[in-house]
Amino acid sequence: MSRSLVKFAAIILVIAALLYVGLYGLDFTDKVRFPGVTDSDGITQGLDLKGGTVIVFKADAADPSEQDMETAMSMLRKRLDFQGYTEASVTVQGSNKIRVELPDVQDSDKAVETLGATAQLEFRDANGATIMTGDQVKEAKSEYGQTQQGMTKSQYYISMTFTDEGREKFSEATRTAASQSSSGMNYIEITMDGNTLTRPSVRQQIDSESCIIEGEFTAEEAKALAANISSGRLPFSLKTDEVKVVSATLGEEALNKAITAGIIGLILVMLFMLIMYRLLGLMADIALLFYVSVVLICISVFHVNLTLPGIAGIILAIGMAVDANVVIFERLREELKLGKTVRSAVDAGFNRALSAVIDSNVTTIISAAILWWLGIGTIKGFGLTLLMGVVISMFSAIFVTKFLLKQMIGMNVKAPWLYGLNKNKTGAESVKGGEA
Amino acid sequence: MFDIMKKKWIFFGIAIVLCLISVVSLLFQGFNLDTDFSGGIALTYEVGSDFNTSDIEAIVSEALGANKSASSVQKSGSDVIIKVGYDKGLSDDERTEYSSTTKDAITTALASKYGNAVVDETAALESDVFTDTESAAAEPTEAVTDAAADTSADNAAAITADVADTTESAALESGVRLKSMDDISPSSGQELARSAFWMSLLACAAILVYITLRFEFTSGCVAIVALVHDVLLLLGVYSLFRWSVNINFIAAVLTVLGYSINNTIVIMDRIRENTRHSRKESYGEIANNSVWQTMTRSINTTVTTLLTIGMVYILGVASIKAFALPIIIGIVVGFYSSVFITGPLWATWKDSAVKAKKANTAAKKK
Repeated sequence: MSRSLVKFAAIILVIAALLYVGLYGLDFTDKVRFPGVTDSDGITQGLDLKGGTVIVFKADAADPSEQDMETAMSMLRKRLDFQGYTEASVTVQGSNKIRVELPDVQDSDKAVETLGATAQLEFRDANGATIMTGDQVKEAKSEYGQTQQGMTKSQYYISMTFTDEGREKFSEATRTAASQSSSGMNYIEITMDGNTLTRPSVRQQIDSESCIIEGEFTAEEAKALAANISSGRLPFSLKTDEVKVVSATLGEEALNKAITAGIIGLILVMLFMLIMYRLLGLMADIALLFYVSVVLICISVFHVNLTLPGIAGIILAIGMAVDANVVIFERLREELKLGKTVRSAVDAGFNRALSAVIDSNVTTIISAAILWWLGIGTIKGFGLTLLMGVVISMFSAIFVTKFLLKQMIGMNVKAPWLYGLNKNKTGAESVKGGEA
Repeated sequence: MFDIMKKKWIFFGIAIVLCLISVVSLLFQGFNLDTDFSGGIALTYEVGSDFNTSDIEAIVSEALGANKSASSVQKSGSDVIIKVGYDKGLSDDERTEYSSTTKDAITTALASKYGNAVVDETAALESDVFTDTESAAAEPTEAVTDAAADTSADNAAAITADVADTTESAALESGVRLKSMDDISPSSGQELARSAFWMSLLACAAILVYITLRFEFTSGCVAIVALVHDVLLLLGVYSLFRWSVNINFIAAVLTVLGYSINNTIVIMDRIRENTRHSRKESYGEIANNSVWQTMTRSINTTVTTLLTIGMVYILGVASIKAFALPIIIGIVVGFYSSVFITGPLWATWKDSAVKAKKANTAAKKK
């Protein structure tokens, strides 16, 4: 008996420790740190929870090659980095779409405009002929200051550095332009996607490796423009296919309500199990806590991108988690009614119910896996958490509950009432079959 | 406890009638497709004062102009969800333009009726600490000056920008503010529908293969009949009541596909076991016993799952309610089909197979 008690206490401690780690994380002198879900970096929140913008761009090309998609994607990434959207994510969706997720950003119009720009930078002469393109620009950055001597006002401008080829072309073009000063054709036009940014007049040949673009830019515009020039031209133009914006307020409200729903749901299920199955129910409840802790730990360890449907998946799985226990306990009760001892009833209950438990969970696993594999956006998250939930719950219902019950029996806790059996064996007659 | 086999025709009848109603509704009425599938703009505003949907409908129609109106205006607590479809034949660029002007027009119109967003300042100040100043979208000074300028176009900009900064998590005291926006192109919706169709088909096929491998063919077929019944009724309910169908609905249907078959499988598993041990019982008796032996379990499992997903429905925000509801319906419908249809159907099928065999051997003897 004492050995069982030790084992029982041990597993309770293990589960309590797991639950603690799941909630608050681990922290060994800062070397081994491992966040729990209550830590700020514990949950990777989806955009529908923390607020932000999702933009799905579609390539405006009939059948873009994989390489072009890769190029476009890495360019979008560069543009985002340049503009300080460090938390943004860029992924390919299907064969011709790119999904950009911008946490904390709500002004979708601006984001669509700067990210989706083809960014074809052109230097044109007075006749409209292209002198050079953005390819010959090595670097571009936005700066603030006086662009000309004698100016009293500072402004934002873009300073560019040319490649050697660019420097040559620019020098050549400025020489030609300067020679035309009498006809008033001595200017060079700098355009972005066909829009004129600036049209400086040229007085003399400029043989320099740098040049500036001025215009009436705001800080953001200058930054965005510089980013687009630096990252280069997209292989195709991008059309917006989908824009979703969620405010942080809505996200927070959704998260809080979902967590409340989860906690209440969990408590209701635990009470239900306790009332229906007494001692067995208590064991199932402990196993359920094990399940909850493991799910929490998995979420933070694997950085599961938690979306609202994802949380619904976890909560749904709490309800499903006890299903395996219900199947097993019902079976166990039947075995008890047949007059078996508690010990053999537990063994028989688990063994006989095993096939039903596995078969019934596999189908849910199949659908969840398909949602995870083929689903788009938030649905993917739901598929993943549901899959995770069903697999972990099956494990906890079969192994953890059984282990706990064995210790109970080891401690000689065998009163049939505790196992959900009423003294007058009503209904036993109607139970047929199932005998070995 | 009654004999399910004796009443089987009542159960079959109910199922058949409900399925027929579903099919008729699906054929003649179809679905009320949400913007996820049809393409369009969905805007969610929080309104700080009392409002009714007909007022908002009128405001939106006026804002859109040219005899246009919102495809739906729906109230959810203090929020209002406005959906506007796209005209056919708009090019991508025209559509982007249209969505942006539409959003501004509606926002401006609502603001002039209900006022600009006024939030609890103290809460706003606290939350400002967490606002990422690096994110280019948040430009607090812009919002303030724009609001002061008080021209209608600027109002729209101010409110849209509001979502980003001052209102981070502050409670709304009065006025309107934009909480979320979805803008989806029609082609994207069609693609989504296609992928949803393939996902469902793949899930059905995979489940059928698994059941056929694990059980005998008859059980597999019976399980699939129950599955078709569940999904058909779920689709039927949504079609009949014109509830809007979005991407979350697809996820819910697939969940129901996987889960509602749970009960069926437990019953089939019991039938499989009882058949192995049976000596004299008829198929009908085996089916009836198996269903009753697993009844408590079927009920309890359904209850626990409903407890959790029901909580999600009761407490959740609008989008998650729309996700939980079809799952709840699916679970209830799945309970009915598993308990009252699968067992009797299996027995009837088996009996007729035996009869056919007997007739066959009798014919041979002659």
